[in-house]
Amino acid sequence: MVKKRWGVYVHIPFCRKKCFYCDFPSYAGREGDREEYTRALCREIRSQGSSYRLRWGDPATIYIGGGTPTSLPPQCMKDILDALSETFPPAKGREFTVECNPGTVDEAYFQILREGAVNRLSFGVQSFDDRLLQAIGRIHTAGEAAAAVRMARKAGFDNLSLDLMYGLPGQTMADLERSVQQALELAPQHLSIYGLQVEEHTVFWDRRERGELNLPDDEEAERMYDYMTSVLPAHGYARYEISNFARPGFASRHNLAYWQDVPYLGLGAAAHSYLDGRRWESEADLSRYMDQAKRGIRPIHPEEEMTDAVAMEEFCFLALRTAAGISRRRFAEKFGQELDRVYEGAIREMVRKGLLADKGDSVYLTELGMKFGNLVFEAFLLT
Amino acid sequence: MQNKNIRNFSIIAHIDHGKSTIADRLIEYTGTLSERQMEAQVLDNMDLERERGITIKAQTVRLDYQGKDGETYQLNLIDTPGHVDFTYEVSRSLAACEGALLVVDAAQGVEAQTLANVYMALENDLEIVPVINKIDLPSADPDRVREEIENTIGLDTSNAVLASAKTGIGIEEILDAIVEYIPAPEGDENAPLQALIFDSYFDSYKGVIAHVRVKQGHIRKGMKLRMMATGKEFEVTDVGCFKPQPVDVGRLDVGEVGFVAGSLKDVRDVRVGDTITFADHPAANPLPGYRGVTPMVYCGLYPVESSDYDNLKDALEKMQINDAALVFEPETSAALGFGFRCGFLGLLHMDVIQERLEREYHLRLITTAPSVIYRVYKTDGTMVEVSNPSELPPQTEIEHIEEPYVKATVIVPNDFVGAVMEISQDKRGEFKGMDYLDTNRVMITYHIPLNEIIFDYFDRLKSATRGYASLDYELADYQQSKLVKVDILLNGDPVDALSTIVHKDRAANRGRQLAAKLKEIIPQQMFEIPIQAAIGSKVIARENVRARRKDVLAKCYGGDISRKRKLLEKQKEGKKRMKAVGSVEVPQEAFMAILKID
Repeated sequence: MVKKRWGVYVHIPFCRKKCFYCDFPSYAGREGDREEYTRALCREIRSQGSSYRLRWGDPATIYIGGGTPTSLPPQCMKDILDALSETFPPAKGREFTVECNPGTVDEAYFQILREGAVNRLSFGVQSFDDRLLQAIGRIHTAGEAAAAVRMARKAGFDNLSLDLMYGLPGQTMADLERSVQQALELAPQHLSIYGLQVEEHTVFWDRRERGELNLPDDEEAERMYDYMTSVLPAHGYARYEISNFARPGFASRHNLAYWQDVPYLGLGAAAHSYLDGRRWESEADLSRYMDQAKRGIRPIHPEEEMTDAVAMEEFCFLALRTAAGISRRRFAEKFGQELDRVYEGAIREMVRKGLLADKGDSVYLTELGMKFGNLVFEAFLLT
Repeated sequence: MQNKNIRNFSIIAHIDHGKSTIADRLIEYTGTLSERQMEAQVLDNMDLERERGITIKAQTVRLDYQGKDGETYQLNLIDTPGHVDFTYEVSRSLAACEGALLVVDAAQGVEAQTLANVYMALENDLEIVPVINKIDLPSADPDRVREEIENTIGLDTSNAVLASAKTGIGIEEILDAIVEYIPAPEGDENAPLQALIFDSYFDSYKGVIAHVRVKQGHIRKGMKLRMMATGKEFEVTDVGCFKPQPVDVGRLDVGEVGFVAGSLKDVRDVRVGDTITFADHPAANPLPGYRGVTPMVYCGLYPVESSDYDNLKDALEKMQINDAALVFEPETSAALGFGFRCGFLGLLHMDVIQERLEREYHLRLITTAPSVIYRVYKTDGTMVEVSNPSELPPQTEIEHIEEPYVKATVIVPNDFVGAVMEISQDKRGEFKGMDYLDTNRVMITYHIPLNEIIFDYFDRLKSATRGYASLDYELADYQQSKLVKVDILLNGDPVDALSTIVHKDRAANRGRQLAAKLKEIIPQQMFEIPIQAAIGSKVIARENVRARRKDVLAKCYGGDISRKRKLLEKQKEGKKRMKAVGSVEVPQEAFMAILKID
């Protein structure tokens, strides 16, 4: 066994209701499948999980995301946590996160999570404005969100994260300021902020097509972005990645792993994996996933091995999302080539435009670069 | 072959009326190619031609046919390019024939372009055999079409052949009609050689191959010949006929059609319309009708990647080997860098060349809006020809400007006469006349600036007439016009490649429309981009592309990297069609924006 840093992602593709902006793989109205899905998932955790553990030892992080993991009945959640604990015996220092929807948790549920060795919770709060919450299709109120966070803390969780969104239909700067204020009052260790993007196959997309979506204009959305990215650091939350902020020592290691070229095993329908230089997605269709698991077929769509060029591109544009940026040393170690030999032109151009900073070992986004991340990432595409 | 058993003929038809299909059937029926060799539309052998259903390079084929009288006839089919840009080439092909098949779609009737070519054939004293094609169509109305042919052209249609090339009906009748009605060629076998060049192409082994019709005398392998216009002399290394690939038979006799080759390296030495004669005892006079190539439309071609400059140059040179009508010279644009000013016979010719450069040579190109050639008379008494708007001298140095006018012929159902007149008037056209072709269709002629024709005239006609309008035009003359140059400034800097020359009365309007169109086309960037239209130093229109406020990928769901990658790739793909002009990324289509406004 070669000990290696790696992570485990577990996907729960159920929601009580689909939010209007969401195009992630999750199903509303498939409650009847939750037990069978749990059985299929536990089987996959045990078989796949143990084989990777034999190769690399204990994973450094586990993350249960969705969908809405906490929309599972308590018994299902318990079974999954049991399967995980059996496969990956709780180890000291391991980060184990579960995403929670404030409308789906109570004291007993938190207890189950605690007993299952979960030590970090991420709450999809999005806003502390009931009118907005309703307008984006959330199932909870602001009050429920605040209560859930307090309840979690009482249950013994001391590493909490809140998700907030900006650029929502009908949202004003004043709305956003109030929401941020309330989030700060709850004193989470970590905050994620997301600007609303209208994706195809969502309620919002259709509304926008019909001209019925009243989004803040570009200037307003920019002001919201500027506000968020300045107010959070002012309150002691360092921006360690484009959309993530944390108190010292509370950056999410699982989240960072995605950007730092750390392998991860995805389990469950539509989960993504990055292992042995390959990326793949598990079967996304719920029924097919369960059927394949039942028949003992590994439910993945294998992908070609990445070429060096593709691997370099991803190494760079992912690393650039973090405050630390690209490490020249790590690039050279991985590819046996100097970063500057491959990207000299791109780096020079982006530095000239004020989007990149170049200091010693690191090449990282400036504040302006964070704002125009896509322009910089694109410059690192080779093909 | 005895002259009396030779027939030289062309096919005149509008696009889509079935010329290529008829040619295919004739080749098939006479056994010139076996079925196995037969590719659909063998004569149109360029991909682009096949896709667009048009003939760009003319082809020639010799068919051997046993007539009803039991004699064997040599039928030389001389295919003609079917587009208004290639009128001169068509005229030379027709001059090589004694007759022509006039193919008219039984459902569509006569079109403007067909008419122009028929008149040309009549001027060349050709015997015309009408063929009414597509009689199998449910909407076919051969009697109406007959009547139309009689009314418009004054042709007797009693010998017209009813055919359906698609189903093979009437093919034998066409062959018999060719033998019966088209006269055999005349000429003196022993007179000094006069062979008309009606096409040429470059073969990498044999050099330039000239398509010729022997009017007087004969050609044998080894003879020393001379081009009468260019003076180029050469020794015949290959001479023969097309079946349809060239077959070296060592000779061409008087009246025959075929090819001559003799290690000629440059297609410019072999001019369409020139006369080939003996080097030693030349004919007293060349055949009539020779004309040099004169491009009508110019545009700038620039590589998107400046490193592709040499590749573009190579590609243009290679293209020119086969296309004597293409001219180009290096040009520099402050906005676009190094490129070429290219001259074309017309818009289709321009489109075809551009598309072939992109397709066959994998070049990504910026094309500037097409321009005609202006004659600029300066105050110092000199005249300069300007085909690039950015090279127009300062207003203070200009005495006056002349622009080319064409005679445009439009044929439409009479319901659309009003629409045609409105558009033509709007395009500064001067009404010349109107003739009823039959009870339903009208031919309208206008004297109109070529400049207006190349700016979407035909597109507008088409859309205003539900696609019924057909257009033909020929250069008429140069006339004085009040013309000014409208410049475009991006971010305060003039972009030479966006300058355009327009009539003074519509300059302000055009400037506004162009600025507005550019605002639509140019994507938001990190900074605000002012767009201004100006005449001289006077700004006539102003628009703003607002700055992009932010551009960042948000949430990464559960490690799904492929999604981010796809977004970035799409973004990058979009940029590939952009040219950095100063600090502004300008999409290719911006340089053609002037054509997209109305």
